[in-house]
Amino acid sequence: MSVSLLSRALRSLSLSGARTVSSQIASLSGVSADLTGCRGFMTSACQRQNRSLWKQREKYTVRPIGIKKTGGRDYTGRIVTHGIGGGHKQRYRMIDFQRLRYEPGQEGQPIVEKVVEVRYDPCRSADIALVAGGSRKRWIIATENMEAGDLIKTSSAIGRMAVLAKEGDSHPLGALPVGTLINNLELYPGKGAQYIRAAGTCGVLLRKVNGTAIVQLPSKHQIQVLETCVATVGRVSNVDHNKRIIGKAGRNRWLGIRPSSGLWQRKGGWAGRKIRPLPPMKSFVNPPSAAAKT
Amino acid sequence: MFNATVQRIRTPALKITQNCKSKDCHSVLIMIPHGRRCLSTSSCLYGKILPRKKPRVVHEIAGLEPITYADRMHFVPGLAKPRFPTWDRGWKDPTHYQSPKLEDMPLHKDKPCYIFSQRTNVLEGVRQALWLSKSVLIKGLPAQILSLAEDPANQIENQDERVQDAIKNSRLWDTTEPRPLRERFCPSLLHRLLHLCGGLQVTRPELAKRILAEKYSLAATWRRGEDMFQVRGQNGLLLNSMTPVPVLAGEEQIQSTADQALETFYPIAPTIDLQCTHVYQEKNDTGFKEGYPYPHAHTLFLMEMGNTPKLLPEQLRAKMVMFTFGNALARAQALYGKEPRVLEKPIVVQSVATNGRLFQFVVFQLNTTDLQSDSGVKNLVWVDEDQPLYEFAKVRPYIKKKVVKVPAGLSGYQPNTFKKFLALHLHGTA
Repeated sequence: MSVSLLSRALRSLSLSGARTVSSQIASLSGVSADLTGCRGFMTSACQRQNRSLWKQREKYTVRPIGIKKTGGRDYTGRIVTHGIGGGHKQRYRMIDFQRLRYEPGQEGQPIVEKVVEVRYDPCRSADIALVAGGSRKRWIIATENMEAGDLIKTSSAIGRMAVLAKEGDSHPLGALPVGTLINNLELYPGKGAQYIRAAGTCGVLLRKVNGTAIVQLPSKHQIQVLETCVATVGRVSNVDHNKRIIGKAGRNRWLGIRPSSGLWQRKGGWAGRKIRPLPPMKSFVNPPSAAAKT
Repeated sequence: MFNATVQRIRTPALKITQNCKSKDCHSVLIMIPHGRRCLSTSSCLYGKILPRKKPRVVHEIAGLEPITYADRMHFVPGLAKPRFPTWDRGWKDPTHYQSPKLEDMPLHKDKPCYIFSQRTNVLEGVRQALWLSKSVLIKGLPAQILSLAEDPANQIENQDERVQDAIKNSRLWDTTEPRPLRERFCPSLLHRLLHLCGGLQVTRPELAKRILAEKYSLAATWRRGEDMFQVRGQNGLLLNSMTPVPVLAGEEQIQSTADQALETFYPIAPTIDLQCTHVYQEKNDTGFKEGYPYPHAHTLFLMEMGNTPKLLPEQLRAKMVMFTFGNALARAQALYGKEPRVLEKPIVVQSVATNGRLFQFVVFQLNTTDLQSDSGVKNLVWVDEDQPLYEFAKVRPYIKKKVVKVPAGLSGYQPNTFKKFLALHLHGTA
C-alpha cells in the first residue's frame, strides 16, 4: 500500500517539479551548515540557503554586518519565541569576547590597546568600544568609565602578588585581588567571555582557593572557575540602563518587542516571588575523570 | 485509518503539496516538510521535526588506504567514499578559471608587504603618514609660496569675480535639480579653477610646458625597519611639467631635520589599516613611460567626494602626504636608481585636495631615499589645513522661524584660498 503511494508520488513529480520541491525543502531546513543534502528520492544537488548566510562569516571584521530579522520564527517558519518582530534595522558589529587574543607572532607579551571610540550597539544593552593595538582593531564591551584615548592592558601573567586592578584592564582571576568587581568572565580559559556582559552588571571575586577562583555573579549565584580564566575589571558601561523608562508602546515596537497576548490566564505555581536558599555553587573546573585514569 | 491521520498532520503541510493533486500521496509528502523522513512513531503522527543528526565524522589515518567503491563505479554500503584528484581541463578556458591558492601563486613571498592604496583610510592620519614617509611636519605653506600668493602681479584680472563665477556655475547653475551631487560639483569646480589658472599662459609662457594626466597608476616601494611598504594605484589628477619644481628648504634646514625625532603612536603600530599581503611585486613606476616629455610631477589634485571610503580631513591629508611621497620616491628611483641615499637635489611635489568647499594644501620635499632607519636626514612636509573657499553656496535660502539665516547663492567667499591655489600652480615658473 505504501509502495503504491510512493510510486504514485514519484510519477506525479516531474523532473522540473522535483527541483522546485527540493529547493523549497532545502530553503526551509535551516541547518547550521549552508549545504543541505537530502538522500532518498530528493535527488537534486545540495542547495545553499540564504537564511543564515549573514552570520556565516569566519574572518573577523570591524565593519558592521547587516542582519536578517527572524521575527521569532525558526527554520520551519513557526513562531518559536513570541513577542519578537519588527523594530529598527540593526547592523551587527562583531565583538571579540576573547580579550586575550594575541596577534600572530606576538604571543606571550601583555597586550596594550588604545580606545578609539565608545559607541552605542543596537544588538546589546552595553556600549561597545573600538580598540586598536598593534596592527589590528576590534570591538569589545566597554566598561563604565571608558573614554576615547584610554590605554587598556590585557595580560595572562599570574604573579605572587595581586595586580593593582585598573578599570578596563583584563587579567586572569588569579592575578586580581579578592573583592574586585569584574565583568566579561570566562568559564573555561581561552573560550571567551560568556558571563556578566549586560549593561551595568559586575561580579565580585569572592575568594581564591588553590588554583581556582570563586566569583559571585549578578544573580548572587556563586561559581567556581579556574584561576587562569581572564576577566575584565570594573562594571559594564551604560550603568543607568535599568533606570530607563520606555514611555510609550511605540518605543517597545522600535526595540522589536511585539505586544504579548491579551488573553487572561490564571497563573499557576510557577508565578510569584519565591524566597528560597541559593543553589549550591556550580563548579566549572573539570577534575580528571575516572575513565581517563584507566 | 489513513484518512484520520491525514487530518491531524495537515498543520505542518507546506507549499510542496501543490505538485501532487491526489489526496493519497498527501500523507507521504506532509511527513517530509524538510526533506527528512522521521520514522519514529510519535514524530510521524504529530509532525514533530526532530533535529538533524550530524553526519558521521570520517577520520583520515595516515598510512592507511581506505577501500573505496571507485572500482565498482557505484555506491556500495560499507565502503568509503572515494576522493578523486581535481579534474584538469587540459586547455585554458577563459570563462572557467580557478585561481591557485595564495601559497601557490608565482609572486608569493614569505615576507609580507604593506600597501597603501586609494581606498586606505589610516587610523592615525597624518602622524602615521609622516612615520611611514620618514618626514617632519611644518604647519603652513613655505615662505616662497606665500610670497607668490601675496604678490599682486601674479593675479588674474578680476580674479575674485571670476572665481566666484566659477563656484556659482558648478554649485548653483549646473543642473535643474534642486541640489547638485558632490560627485558632480567637486570635479566641475576643480576643472573650472584649473582653467582659470591656465588662462595666465598669455603672460607666462612657462605655464604652457605642463600637462594634466588622469587615471595613471603609481607604484613605489621602500623599506622601513624590517617591513616593506608600497604605494600603489590611481590617485587623482596629476599636473606634470617639463622642468622640476624648485627646492624649497635650504641645506641647513634639511640637516636640522636629522636632529628631530619621528613621532610614534604606541600602542598602535604604523602598519595599521594598510593592506598586508604576501603576493606582491616590487615595482617602482611613475606611471609614465621613459621618453615622456613631461617627466616631473608638479601638483597632485585629489577629490574627496564621500564615496568609498568617506575620508575625514585628517585622513585625507594623510592620503595626500602618502601619494605625494609615492610620486616623489618613484621619480627619485627613476632618476637615481634604487640604492637608498641622501639626494643632493631634493625632489618637491605639491598636492591640493578638496571636497568642493574645503581645500587642503600639502608640499612634500623628498630629501632622502634612505628610509630604512629612523635616524638621519628626514623629508619635509608643509601642510595647510582646512582652507574654506566659501562658507555656503545654497540654491534655496536657509530660513528658521521666518528669519533668513543663510541667504541663497554664494556667501562667505575667502579670496586667500584661491590665491594660495594660484601660488601653488605658479610655483616653478620664474
